[in-house]
Amino acid sequence: MEVNWLHLVPLLPLIGAAICGLVGKWLPKGWLYAVALASVLLSFCIGVTAFSNLEGENPQIHELVYNWFAVGSLHVDLGFTLDRLSGALVLVITGVGFLIHLYSVAYMDDDPGYWRYFAYLNLFVAAMLTLVLADNLVAMFIGWEGVGLCSYLLIGFWFDDDAKAYAGRKAFVVNRIGDFGLMIGIFVLFTATGSVNFAQINAAPLTLGLASAAAALMFLGACGKSAQLPLYIWLPDAMAGPTPVSALIHAATMVTAGVYMIARLSHVYVSAPGVMAVVAIVGCLTALWGAVIGTAQNDIKKVLAYSTVSQLGFMFIGVGVGAFFAGTMHLVTHAFFKACLFLGSGAVIHGLYGEQDMTRMGGLRKYMPHTRATFAIATIAITGVLPLSGFFSKDEILAQAWHTRAFDFLTLTPSGESHLTWLGFVIYAVGTLTAGLTSFYMWRCYLVTFEGEYRGGTDVHPHESPWPMTAPLWILAILSVLALVLGLPESWARALHLESFNWERFTDGMFAQVRGGPPREGSLLLGFGIAWVVALFGGLTAWTLYKPGTSMTGDERFARAVPAVHRAFVNKLYVDEFYGWLILRPTWRFAKALWHWVDATLIDGLFVNGSAQAVEWTARSARRFQNGNVQRYAAVLAVGVAALVLVFLVRG
Amino acid sequence: MPSFLLSLVIFLPLAGAVLVMLLPRGEGGQHKGVALVTSLLTLAASLPLWLEFHPGAAAGRYAFEQKAEWAPSLGIGYHVGLDGIALLLMMLTTFLGPIVILSSWKYIQSRVKEYCVALLVLETAMLGTLAALDLVLFYVFWEAMLIPMYLLIGVWGSERRIYAAVKFFLFTFVGSVLMLLAIFWLWSNSGPVGARTFDYVTLLSQGALPPDKQQWLFLAFALAFAIKVPIFPLHTWLPDAHTEAPAAGSILLAGVMLKMGTFGFIRYAMPLFPHAANQWAPMIGVLGVVGIVYGSFMCMAQTDLKRLIAYSSVAHLGFVMLGLSALTVEAASGAVLQMVNHGISTGGLFLMIGYLYERTHTRDLAAYGGLARVAPALAAAFVVITLSSIGLPGTNGFVGEFLVLVGTFTAKNLGTWQLGGFEFEKGIALSVVAATGVILGAVYMLWMVQRVFFGPARKAAQHGVPDLTVREWATVIPLLVAIVWIGAYPQPLLNVMKVPVDDFVQRVGRPDAPRARVLQQRGAGLGDAPPGGAQAGAPFRILPPRAPMFEQAQPVRPVQPDEAR
Repeated sequence: MEVNWLHLVPLLPLIGAAICGLVGKWLPKGWLYAVALASVLLSFCIGVTAFSNLEGENPQIHELVYNWFAVGSLHVDLGFTLDRLSGALVLVITGVGFLIHLYSVAYMDDDPGYWRYFAYLNLFVAAMLTLVLADNLVAMFIGWEGVGLCSYLLIGFWFDDDAKAYAGRKAFVVNRIGDFGLMIGIFVLFTATGSVNFAQINAAPLTLGLASAAAALMFLGACGKSAQLPLYIWLPDAMAGPTPVSALIHAATMVTAGVYMIARLSHVYVSAPGVMAVVAIVGCLTALWGAVIGTAQNDIKKVLAYSTVSQLGFMFIGVGVGAFFAGTMHLVTHAFFKACLFLGSGAVIHGLYGEQDMTRMGGLRKYMPHTRATFAIATIAITGVLPLSGFFSKDEILAQAWHTRAFDFLTLTPSGESHLTWLGFVIYAVGTLTAGLTSFYMWRCYLVTFEGEYRGGTDVHPHESPWPMTAPLWILAILSVLALVLGLPESWARALHLESFNWERFTDGMFAQVRGGPPREGSLLLGFGIAWVVALFGGLTAWTLYKPGTSMTGDERFARAVPAVHRAFVNKLYVDEFYGWLILRPTWRFAKALWHWVDATLIDGLFVNGSAQAVEWTARSARRFQNGNVQRYAAVLAVGVAALVLVFLVRG
Repeated sequence: MPSFLLSLVIFLPLAGAVLVMLLPRGEGGQHKGVALVTSLLTLAASLPLWLEFHPGAAAGRYAFEQKAEWAPSLGIGYHVGLDGIALLLMMLTTFLGPIVILSSWKYIQSRVKEYCVALLVLETAMLGTLAALDLVLFYVFWEAMLIPMYLLIGVWGSERRIYAAVKFFLFTFVGSVLMLLAIFWLWSNSGPVGARTFDYVTLLSQGALPPDKQQWLFLAFALAFAIKVPIFPLHTWLPDAHTEAPAAGSILLAGVMLKMGTFGFIRYAMPLFPHAANQWAPMIGVLGVVGIVYGSFMCMAQTDLKRLIAYSSVAHLGFVMLGLSALTVEAASGAVLQMVNHGISTGGLFLMIGYLYERTHTRDLAAYGGLARVAPALAAAFVVITLSSIGLPGTNGFVGEFLVLVGTFTAKNLGTWQLGGFEFEKGIALSVVAATGVILGAVYMLWMVQRVFFGPARKAAQHGVPDLTVREWATVIPLLVAIVWIGAYPQPLLNVMKVPVDDFVQRVGRPDAPRARVLQQRGAGLGDAPPGGAQAGAPFRILPPRAPMFEQAQPVRPVQPDEAR
């Protein structure tokens, strides 16, 4: 269905950003808040209307805004498509975005740069909406880099601090490494299909080689944006930004863009099964990697950051094993509970006047009942101890990995003897182990922060936050519970008459099918049982080590048992140091050396100024012959004549 | 539309310069005032060029053409006219003119009169270089650019200004002399004695020279232009010139003058010698890519703010040269667009750095830091221009870079390289390596932004840095508007350049394909010459103005595959 109002969805926040950014400094605070919040809320309302208008088989609403540029055979439009996937994400972005805007009103009220903050935040919502709504790769790239820009600006929001400005720059540059791959991937797809539109690309038949090249290159982009190995290093540092930003950008929306992009290009990815295996393996390793580091962090935001890295890994397992619906479902549920967790940590930090160190927290349940309650609900959701949303979405991914047939016909060697049928199960096993670790570090985080006795300074009086902060917390906590309907197993959903909410049914027909066919049948309850036991085990381990009254003794016991391992975990496995040693310093030294030796010495010194000096030297030498001394001229003449005479005499 | 409109635009700044010369020396703003009014009038007079230009005109037709005798016995004529590419660069020049004069309003306090004269003469020379359709006229304007720029650097520059000015002059002059020889050769080859001509349109319509003759002619032209661009390794005059020049000089140097080199390639060196250009294209592409990567690494090593931006110009112009070498419509369009973009964004950066220097009197990056706190508006404008420079989607820089890269990626006529048993499509290899420039650009530009604006206040910011004044805003806002406008809606610019770019790609990309006869209604002496033989040139006359300005393009006959050989 062709419409002419879809552009309002991203345009309204953009206008909000322009107003806040250009004149916000001089507007009364209330007006500015009204503009910032209303633009997102209106956008949400339009999104709801559009979403409810989606009807029929594989429905979509499309708008061609204008022809952006067209040269030769390349036509790039600014066009938007709202289908079930992008529609659901529009609701998440504007809905969660609105809640976080509301929360920020209280959180950022004291900051003198509040107008700047809301301008960036509105701009981010506009860019993110462009990303998910775009109907072609280049328009998506506007949003893709646009959210990166906003992330850069918001991480470095307190730019007086060099470390924070550096964190913002690091995020942008690492993302640009990914964008390099994405851009080349776009070129490959354009060369292969003659178009940059998703519809045409997904309809075009691709050879294995081209599809693999494009998929692998674009996965590099996804690794950058969605913080996967080896490009995840920017996300933990991104916690330098204000906490609501971490919730919106670095947990709920922007970082999931990579998963969205792969789901959007599912036809390209299923044509490249080898790359899908890579996606799944990278996702699996990242999930484990993030969870491992997360177990030893003491900064509450860092724990959540590594948890995000890990959860994004789960989403990539989902899309990598061909269960695009499972990956995107986890994207949605994760948006709710992780935003809730981050906002909860923000409320804690706010209530402790900027304290982020968990060793100086504890016992906060007394002072912050709402924050504690919602944090606990979201923790249950992410760890999957009880059947909340995170349990179902994560378990769906793991079950799909276990039973997938996507890798059945892949071989390690060209001769093709051993098939990778076991790969899915390995991924499942590692994923289950990661789920246990997730349960451990999240319950550790909860117990250390909210239970036991308060360990902070006596000058700090912890207090609960005002309603604009607690209300979003409760709404997100409730959503984390309610979102379980998305992932209920079909038989249960039918029994409860909730099957119309089922995400798998909802997105049916949107994604391509993997070549190996649908996953094998497996026992539902067996998977659930294993997940239950594992989550319970992780939680109980956390309880024995960090139960109320034991304070941080768990960390000490860990450090005493295996000091080297503990130190490595605390220092984030030395990845930043490794990159510094491997890439940053050599690059910088190379640049210096290149400049000094090649540019200044060789080209400019030897060739340019050297040739000038050669001319000068020649001229100075030649000048000796013309010094105006007649006697010398006569002498030279005489010598010359004598020499000539000699020559003639000798040669006869 | 009067036929002298184009000449009016070209010579208005010169008239202003004469007027400034007539004013008494002295303090006060009268010289700058006249210069500003003149440049604004030039801008106003150039607007009809943009509005009346008909982008659909056939290739080889020039808008606002004017032709007069100059030295008919030698075949030299005053012949000016515009195609879409020249028009875009002309608009860029007249657009930057008032900005440049306003920007130096406060900074230049000595020899104001001479300064204004130099700027205005420079503007005329640049406009003339773009509009000239006669090789001698082109050469005159081309060399005329040197003198005022030489003076701007040498008189109003900073400490090492004499060294930089002489270096700039010698570098460019060396290249130009060889080009002059090549121009003479073209003239002597253009017909029998008495009927020889320097007219570009005539020379082009005589058809391509024998390929073996094209080689050294192409190299002579290319050297002159390569120095101006500058292409690695001929670039070392640029950092010195930029560093020492006053801000206005840097803006014009980066904004317009470097583009004369790339313009020379697309207008003269490559179409006049298509076989040689076609043969050399992969080499030019390689040098362009080397410029991108090498320039980026140079930027990382710099401690001097202006020197850093100067090296970033090397990288950006590398993109332009890559786009021209790929010989696809997408890449060449991107290259032309990138010429305009670089004028806006790098010109803008030099403008902002000029304002910084006025306030802090240092270019040393280590002295900067924390300026965003004391001068937030300046910082915001600077960051926006930086984003345009690193090609963020939504700004002008993205569209140009993207087109160059995608056009190079799809270029099939560059051939392949063999390396260790693998065969690489040259276009793909060049495009992939060039795309690393997107990463490197972010690395050095954002690092610079952080060192200047973020972190705690350091030496330069300690005594307070005033934010942008109204006059300075007046120079910055047009640039910001242009950045966003071209980024959001580049199609008008692409439409304007379409015909000459298509012609360029067809001419150089397939030098042996028969040319579509679009020039034949021009009259005797200007039609397509029969292959191999030069044709007697008709005596020049002033062409009557036509209304409408153009006939519609003739439908171009598609080239049949069997005709190509």
